[in-house]
Amino acid sequence: MSSAFANFPSSADYVALLPMGIVACTPLVILFLDLFVPTSSGIRRGLAVGVAIVGLVIAGLVAAQSYPHDYAAFGGAFIEGGFSIVFSEIVIVATLATLLLSDGIGRTDQVAGTTALLLWSASGAMLMAGAGNLLTVFLGLELLSLGLYCLCAISARSTAREAALKYLILSSMASGFLIYGSALLFGATGSVAFADLARAAVTPLLALGAGLFLVGIAFKLSLVPFHAWTPDVYEGAPLPVTAFMSVVTKAGALAVFARFAYAALPHGQAGAILVPIWICAALSMLIGNLAALAQTDMKRLLAYSGIAQVGYIVAAFAGTSTFGLRYAVLYLAGYTFMNLGAFAVVELMSRDGDAVVSVARFAGLAYRRPWLAAAMTLFLVGLAGLPPTIGFTGKILILAATTGAGYAWLAGVLIVGTAISAYVYFKIVRAMFVRIDPAHVRDERSRNALPWIAVGVCAVLTFALGIVPLTPSNVLPLVK
Amino acid sequence: MIVTAFVLGPILAGLALYGRPRRASNAARGAAAVVAALVFIVAWADPHAPDASLRWLSRPFTAAFHLGYGPVSYWLVLLLALVTFSAALVVRGPRSRGIAAQLLVLQGAMNGLFLAKDVLLFALFWDLMLLPVFLVLAERTRGRAAWKYLIYNLAGGLALLLATAAFGVVAGTTDAIGNTAAHAGIGATWGAWIFAGFALAFLIKTPVFPFHTWMPETYAELPPPMVAVVAAVQSKAGLYGFLVIGLPFLGPQMVQARPLMFALGLCALLYGAYVALVERDAKRIVAYSSLSHLGLILLAVFSGSALAYAGAVVYIIAHGLFSAVLFIALGAVEEREETRDLARLGGLAARNPRLAGALMLGALAALGLPGLAGFAGEILILTGLYRAGFTWPAVIALLPIVLAAAYMLRAFQSIMDGPERPDLPQRRDLTWLEGFAVAPLVAGFVWLGVDPAGVIATLTAEGARVVGLR
Repeated sequence: MSSAFANFPSSADYVALLPMGIVACTPLVILFLDLFVPTSSGIRRGLAVGVAIVGLVIAGLVAAQSYPHDYAAFGGAFIEGGFSIVFSEIVIVATLATLLLSDGIGRTDQVAGTTALLLWSASGAMLMAGAGNLLTVFLGLELLSLGLYCLCAISARSTAREAALKYLILSSMASGFLIYGSALLFGATGSVAFADLARAAVTPLLALGAGLFLVGIAFKLSLVPFHAWTPDVYEGAPLPVTAFMSVVTKAGALAVFARFAYAALPHGQAGAILVPIWICAALSMLIGNLAALAQTDMKRLLAYSGIAQVGYIVAAFAGTSTFGLRYAVLYLAGYTFMNLGAFAVVELMSRDGDAVVSVARFAGLAYRRPWLAAAMTLFLVGLAGLPPTIGFTGKILILAATTGAGYAWLAGVLIVGTAISAYVYFKIVRAMFVRIDPAHVRDERSRNALPWIAVGVCAVLTFALGIVPLTPSNVLPLVK
Repeated sequence: MIVTAFVLGPILAGLALYGRPRRASNAARGAAAVVAALVFIVAWADPHAPDASLRWLSRPFTAAFHLGYGPVSYWLVLLLALVTFSAALVVRGPRSRGIAAQLLVLQGAMNGLFLAKDVLLFALFWDLMLLPVFLVLAERTRGRAAWKYLIYNLAGGLALLLATAAFGVVAGTTDAIGNTAAHAGIGATWGAWIFAGFALAFLIKTPVFPFHTWMPETYAELPPPMVAVVAAVQSKAGLYGFLVIGLPFLGPQMVQARPLMFALGLCALLYGAYVALVERDAKRIVAYSSLSHLGLILLAVFSGSALAYAGAVVYIIAHGLFSAVLFIALGAVEEREETRDLARLGGLAARNPRLAGALMLGALAALGLPGLAGFAGEILILTGLYRAGFTWPAVIALLPIVLAAAYMLRAFQSIMDGPERPDLPQRRDLTWLEGFAVAPLVAGFVWLGVDPAGVIATLTAEGARVVGLR
């Protein structure tokens, strides 16, 4: 091929984008089909959710096919490989669970639109998972966030508007940090590609740029002290959207963080530049769990629990060891199932997905709905890091990676955080098993049976991953 | 395969019990007793069951689901099966099904702990055995006891987890219990921290002064069958941990920690005996006497003397047997008279001779009457301590053993002797079922008291290098 055409994308480049492309194009099919369905028809809901599920499953299968690939598409802007595939699959699974959770978000006439927005957000996260330069990161991040701003505001409640506005402003600020940091990084090195950043000499400008970039990522990960938006937004958003955000936003941001930490920082300097992030992770584990102690609303409780859980995952990256990356991915997958399982249980306990579900509603659940209580116990036990779940196995692997990399203090903080979290999660477990007069509890049941599928699948995987901890072996190399 | 069945069988049976109707208390009780008895018979019949092992982790260290008998674990599995059997027989009340189910889950989890040949698997079962006890406590109380139990023991469990991770990273494998070749690698710097993590977990679980504050409340709040298992067997988990993980892998650290552990053990011995002397709640008296007795075993474990190790194993089994009898008998008293307060009880022996007999036998074994198992363990430990050169600890340890006679007899007399109290309800004597629950335990500690050499011999025969007997 002549050099004049060397920069033109080849068909292989587009194939690399295929899974993300399928997820991004499915909404067009949904919106188009929706035009032909009568306004009041009950089929509308099923059609939108059904097409979305089919699209996601196809995308998941296509992505799985290319797991062994290792290909830098579009001149390194999008990197297809084990790393991006694993994160994409987590995003796809989480999106599927979200769809099952809700049977469509919002009123019947909104469902096609909300489902489309959800899928576009998911495709943004998938783009972040494969991002090989700073521009793709920003593109993916905005694609992820724009859909979520609308989804947060979809409910008629005033708290939803407040949550959406708060999310819009704070998230935009985070994006501002990120893009400013990217600009400085470009100024320092003359390139936006991660591969070039890694080869550059460390200058104050580069360090500042990397710092601002990481602040933006920390916002999206809701690491303490950049976490203040999370509980309010989670509380205001519809429950399925909250569940989606708690996994997908974090998966996307973690993918970017991991690639940046492992492959974009100049060799030998990464340790020094990343120290503040480990401190943020330590603070997240402590403050996230301490704040969760005081929560009475399940969504806020799970928001703070999520802040702490992300702290555990980031702790696995400490020392940027290969094992750390693998165990972080494993724990992220485990967190996905435990957390979405817990959200599915909460969904099954509310008649309207928007409603506030307080911890008090769980009182005596074991006697009213034993299967639901058993599943919830498994998820909470897993989130608390006890066997027989992935929470236990994942945590011991993170501890091994962190201590092995010489960050024993971080492992110590992780242990302290976990000890605090026991009270958070077991408060709910105890409530479920305490004997009370059933007349004192509002026992609402969801009209939707679909979340049971999510509960079952998540419960099986929470247990099975703990016994057979499959860690992806094909996660490196991260850049070309 | 058999060893795997000892773990999974009871757990699955316990979970299956939840499928039965809530009111089916007889069925639940019977099923639990049958499962426990089956485990006992199968374990008794085949002391040489082969190991079962399945790969778990290959990186960053190797770990396996590796179960098998060690020299001590054989006896602990038998003890646990016997105590669970007896406890299952005395389950009663509206929550029978739940308690019977959790007894079985607890038995499975603790069998896993005693059979684990992998430190990580040990840690898994260590944390897993928290759950059944917590769930029973959670249902029962206003919450204080449940939280104290959970927070204390989970803190220990997490320290154990961190120590296990460090152990795996340093040694390269956690599949090491009973494998004497695997333990050369732990150096002094890591060893101290790893030992500290393990020791914290073990001391909390036992419990040893000053980590005991969760114990009296938990023992007082748990229903009698559950407390029999927790006090008799779960309290031995930490001591077992010192024997199978501490001694082979962290020997130098055990020696370094000896002064501290001796101090803690003696404090536990004296403080437990003192509180047992003045306490008015019958269950708490036995709880504090446990604290005292377990302090003695801690001395033995850290003494470095083979004789004291043998005594420790004998006393671990003995204490399990007689404390189960005591808690079952006190449970029967409380169920009948609806109080545990010594000041309100009295004169029960006149109408309840069999109950008085059971309590008396338990108390005699606990106070170290020669011919019963408690004495055999105590004399071996004290002789071992003395011969290893620890004269003063042995002398100090003797005092609480004498005091045991005082507090045990005081408790017995206040409950059973004296004139009949007209204000107490008149209830029937020990039923044949309850008698059937107590009988095997009594037979056990009589046999062990007469012939402790039987246990010691198997320890020697089965390559008891772990226990230091050549």
